[in-house]
Amino acid sequence: MQKRIFPTTGSDSAHAMTWGLIAATSLVIGIFVGSRGLRDFDPALVSYAGACVFSAFGLGYRYAMWLRRPPTRLYWYRGWHIFLDRKHFMRNVFHLGRIFWNNIVLQRFIERRSHKRWMAHWFLAWGCLLAGAVTFPLSFGWVRFETSVDNQQIYRAFMFGIPLGSFRLGTWIAELTFNILDVAAVMVLIGVFFALWRRGRDHGAMSVQQFSNDLTPLIMLFAICVTGLFLTVSTHLMHGLYYIFLSQLHAITVILTLLCLPFGKFFHIFQRPAQLGLDFYKRAGAEGPQAKCIRCGQEYGAALQIEDLKTVQAELQIRFQMTDGSHYQDVCPQCRRKNLALTQDALWRSTDMSKRGLL
Amino acid sequence: MAKLPVETPELVRVFGPTLHRVPGGGWTRTTEDEKLVKTHCCFCGQQCGIQLRVQDNKVVGFEPWEDFPFNRGKLCPKGVKRYMQDEHPDRLKHPLQRVEGVGFEAISWDFAMQRVVGEIQRIQAAYGKDAFAVLTGASLTNEKAYLMGKFARVALQTANIDYNGRLCMVSAGAASKKIFGMDRSANPWSDIPKAKVILAAGANIAECAPITTDYIWQARENGAKLIILDPRMTPIARNADLFIPVRPGGDIGVFNGMLHILIERGWIDRKFIDEHTTGFDQLAESVKKYTPEYSSKIAGVPSEMIVKAAELWGPAPTSFLMHARGIEHHTKGVDNCMAAINLVIATGRIGREGCGYAMITGQGNGQGGREQGQKCDQLPGSRDISNPEHRKYIAGVWGVTEESIPQKGLSAIPLVEAIHAGKIKGLISICFNPMISLPDANFVREALEKLEFFTCIDFFLSETARYADIVLAGSLMEEDEGTTTNVEGRVIRHRKAVTPPAEAREDWKIICEIAGRLGYAEKFNYVSPKEMFEELRVASKGGVSDYYGMTWERLDETNGLFWPCPELGHPGTPRLYENGKFGHPDGKAHFIPVEWRPSDEMPDEEYPVILTTGRVVSQFLSGTQTRRIGALVDQASQPFCEIHPRLAEKYGISDGDFVKVESRRGNVVVHAKVVKTIRPDTVFVPYHWPLDRSANNCTNRAIDPVSNIPEFKICAVRLSKVDQPTDAIAMLEVQAGGVR
Amino acid sequence: MSEAAFFIDYSRCIGCEACVNACAECDTHRGTSMIHLETIDRRDSVQTAPQICMHCEDPICAQVCPADAIKKTPDGVVQSSLKPRCIGCSNCVLSCPFGVPKYMSGIDQMMKCDMCYDRSSVGKKPMCATVCPSGALTYTSMEEIQRTRQGIPVNSWKFGAEEVKTKVYVMVPREVTRVEIGLVQIHSTPSALPNDPYDVALMLEGME
Repeated sequence: MQKRIFPTTGSDSAHAMTWGLIAATSLVIGIFVGSRGLRDFDPALVSYAGACVFSAFGLGYRYAMWLRRPPTRLYWYRGWHIFLDRKHFMRNVFHLGRIFWNNIVLQRFIERRSHKRWMAHWFLAWGCLLAGAVTFPLSFGWVRFETSVDNQQIYRAFMFGIPLGSFRLGTWIAELTFNILDVAAVMVLIGVFFALWRRGRDHGAMSVQQFSNDLTPLIMLFAICVTGLFLTVSTHLMHGLYYIFLSQLHAITVILTLLCLPFGKFFHIFQRPAQLGLDFYKRAGAEGPQAKCIRCGQEYGAALQIEDLKTVQAELQIRFQMTDGSHYQDVCPQCRRKNLALTQDALWRSTDMSKRGLL
Repeated sequence: MAKLPVETPELVRVFGPTLHRVPGGGWTRTTEDEKLVKTHCCFCGQQCGIQLRVQDNKVVGFEPWEDFPFNRGKLCPKGVKRYMQDEHPDRLKHPLQRVEGVGFEAISWDFAMQRVVGEIQRIQAAYGKDAFAVLTGASLTNEKAYLMGKFARVALQTANIDYNGRLCMVSAGAASKKIFGMDRSANPWSDIPKAKVILAAGANIAECAPITTDYIWQARENGAKLIILDPRMTPIARNADLFIPVRPGGDIGVFNGMLHILIERGWIDRKFIDEHTTGFDQLAESVKKYTPEYSSKIAGVPSEMIVKAAELWGPAPTSFLMHARGIEHHTKGVDNCMAAINLVIATGRIGREGCGYAMITGQGNGQGGREQGQKCDQLPGSRDISNPEHRKYIAGVWGVTEESIPQKGLSAIPLVEAIHAGKIKGLISICFNPMISLPDANFVREALEKLEFFTCIDFFLSETARYADIVLAGSLMEEDEGTTTNVEGRVIRHRKAVTPPAEAREDWKIICEIAGRLGYAEKFNYVSPKEMFEELRVASKGGVSDYYGMTWERLDETNGLFWPCPELGHPGTPRLYENGKFGHPDGKAHFIPVEWRPSDEMPDEEYPVILTTGRVVSQFLSGTQTRRIGALVDQASQPFCEIHPRLAEKYGISDGDFVKVESRRGNVVVHAKVVKTIRPDTVFVPYHWPLDRSANNCTNRAIDPVSNIPEFKICAVRLSKVDQPTDAIAMLEVQAGGVR
Repeated sequence: MSEAAFFIDYSRCIGCEACVNACAECDTHRGTSMIHLETIDRRDSVQTAPQICMHCEDPICAQVCPADAIKKTPDGVVQSSLKPRCIGCSNCVLSCPFGVPKYMSGIDQMMKCDMCYDRSSVGKKPMCATVCPSGALTYTSMEEIQRTRQGIPVNSWKFGAEEVKTKVYVMVPREVTRVEIGLVQIHSTPSALPNDPYDVALMLEGME
């Protein structure tokens, strides 16, 4: 009976493999179409694009595997089902916007855990997203810059080949555009320093953290930022010294990180939005009928969730049916605890009394 | 002028009690610059070992001390959270002066000392030396207890010094002295798990001495039978082999009834009785009439329970008796204890492994605090203040004439009565909160208000300190060093973790300065508590509680030594009375026959219900410290009245209702807690809370003629269901006396 | 001496809450207590009982977690939810047969006993078991527990048809090999006084 945690059957991996391929293929098609048949594609960035395609495969695979888990699948479908309910669709869309703002943009749920943690995370997350928003379209050939044909001082930006606008060198918008990655790098570095400071000092965090899971991602982000910033330094302050070497080093750190996205801590970036679906599920549960404990008669949870859990448990072969026909899932957590103590105490009392000839 | 300077809510607003919940430095812990100080809990008599975590002269947490033999790391919730009294917002940091209509204002030490010394001199000159009294406490270290006795007798030359151990250990101590000739638990706790039967009378061990629980459970694992006497089913009573829900004040019925059966069935040790005791025949004669039926009427329990108790106790090869305030807080407290101890001697099961007797001391230094001469009738070394030999010896140690040492003074209750009667005009108190801990709280308040001058040494502004003219900011246990003597008679070291904050001072420095200003500088020129211990050793030499062979270094090396320890090479005496050698001059134990008599106030038609009082596990005594610690207040936020459903039904009271418990002296309004685990003729209210929430508004100040302990455990009350009170006191926070 | 293990004996509990208070002091908990201390039914009894995480070999909480947020350490300790993953759905709270995980609404996340991982991972005892004055919670070696207790430690449970094995042991009488859970109320526990085992008035009946 050991280790029953979701056996990976052949059909599961085949299914996930399919989704991985779909994701990777979609990206390849996206790159091809978005770069106007590779016309806008920058061959210098091909290694980045390749790593992204590989990463897309991994993410698709991993996400599909994750959704194969009965509880995850259940929440996935329930979440969409409730969200798309026609009666409340507009209300749901409005609510989605609100929780997206709070949970994803501001990340309020982290702030409630710890201020320091929230600060670190906010800088890390938005630094990374900002960098991603620039680099992915660039390496896919979706966005492209070129100097104006008639004026070397003017830069023009295109997306999917469509002109987005132009700006003159030396203006603040130009500075910002060229240095946006430096800004992102500094944000990420701030986050990394906060996080490392906390993890290196707080006794509690130190005891539960794992190097591979908690520290490696920070180190990787640190490496990307530092090598990236060196490129800027090399360009502006050192007349391009070691530029080739540095850009290769930077590419290696980025590609390694991209390959790691489907695994370990980075995967939570893709899991986290599932929380938004849960929010709808919880609301539906709270508005619906509540389950009452069969031992104490008190309400202890949404009937929707209790019944869903029984389904999930059945799929997982967790068998809480009692011999008298009742179901252990219908006992509230508090009564479970009381019941355990009473059961153990009764074992002692029976033994004691049978010794004394009372039973 | 000892009246409140402003209304209570204003004092509460400024001085608390407020709740402290987050350790100094916050919850996030780093181990930088941290030191661990091995010391002991400041609360009960078990004096559990604990390590305080100290950073930047702040106590920031604790770490269990698993190597300390008594508790091996174990702690009750009070011990766990005790460190929260440090860095507390209510902490007094300067001497304070009462200002009418304003409250208290900070003053300089010099000014405070001038006032205190001036008032002492004025009152003593006008009304006589004894008109200035001293009230002290049993949570003081041995050094401070010794210092307070010497201060009263040498610097103030007043006879009137007594301590709050008067509310605690005196009945047990007097009984032990009368029968054994010595006042100490006879055995180390390590004997408990070796006993085959344990009788615990009037001891809510789970809540008032929680660490002892493991010793008792261990005995049960080894096959011991457990007998519990208590009007309430306490947590350990639930697992007892025999729980006797005795009527408050009926304990002698059980003890004498058991002895009657032991003699009848031959379960006594004739040889031991002949060789090592006196007075057995009179005792046997006296219990003849205590047949199970007669005893049953006194005890208020079925006679079969008493027979069963004798059957468990009688034939056992080894046994252990323990008792606490439940049988001691009575006008017959000494008799109750003696009746219980007779059972130990009659079976000869004492002074051997697994055989013995213990009284469970309540306060931190409940044992040592009653040996060093801060009792009204006692000099250091448990010496008798009326014995000329003893007086002479101590006079020699102190370098004073024997005549200059005052004679026996008033004990705590008569002392407060003398204040009320206008005979005592001035008072200095330390480590005592009589506004909560003494019975008949309204009378105590009236008494305090009659004082011409009252000064109080305290670290928080306790309910009593609110009445002071001058409050002297003293020290917490961890801000000073010294020794205490735990429940077993083991003398242990308290180590200093931090210094007192701001201008607060170590208690002993305050006392020494007052003595110095009174003209006795050369007798109080100690540079450290260690010096006081050196003098205390000598003062106790040859006394019953002989500490002469102990030094702080030896205590450090051994994790504590048991007295008597008369020589430097002496290993101490963990187990007393080995080989039947007792403390009386004849070396024998003296049986003392005990006759049951009614309590001072029995229930009648007007006040038909018995009120008994006690404690809860998360609070300690008057709550000056524990009502300021958030987690402990959360655990039991306000007092309650435990009442059996049958009695509750009679008064139409349901669980959670507000109920007024009213005696001839006062009342308390609290929530009803309807439970089947208490006798239907008795209600229980814990006493840790102040003002309108004080159980001691109701209790009786009648005292035991021998020990002078008040009768906290029984008084007559009537009950009524009332609406939620909404007066100014009721609106305060719960820890300050409010209700929710 | 063999490796230390955790042993619970509910019947020893005196309800003092030293465990609750000490739990909050652990560095991984920081002022939040993870342990449960139940008063079974104060009107009828003074019985109380602690509940720590039993650290199942195949934790049901982890199986029902949609976010894959509950992990076991190599030494068999089931950790609190991983903060980046836990979405606060309470599946674990509702499914744990021992009623252990706590949903903390303030942080929208599950937290639970992690056997004071900051302590037990470096050979120290968990806070609750160190301070527990009654020995209801004990962290010691298998030899020591067998030497000092009447009963035997068992770590096999049955809830309905579901068998569960745990890292934490419960002390039971010698003849018991597995704890089978049915629904028990105070009134149905065996005692000399049927119906109301702890009613003092019933104990006194027959007096007059």
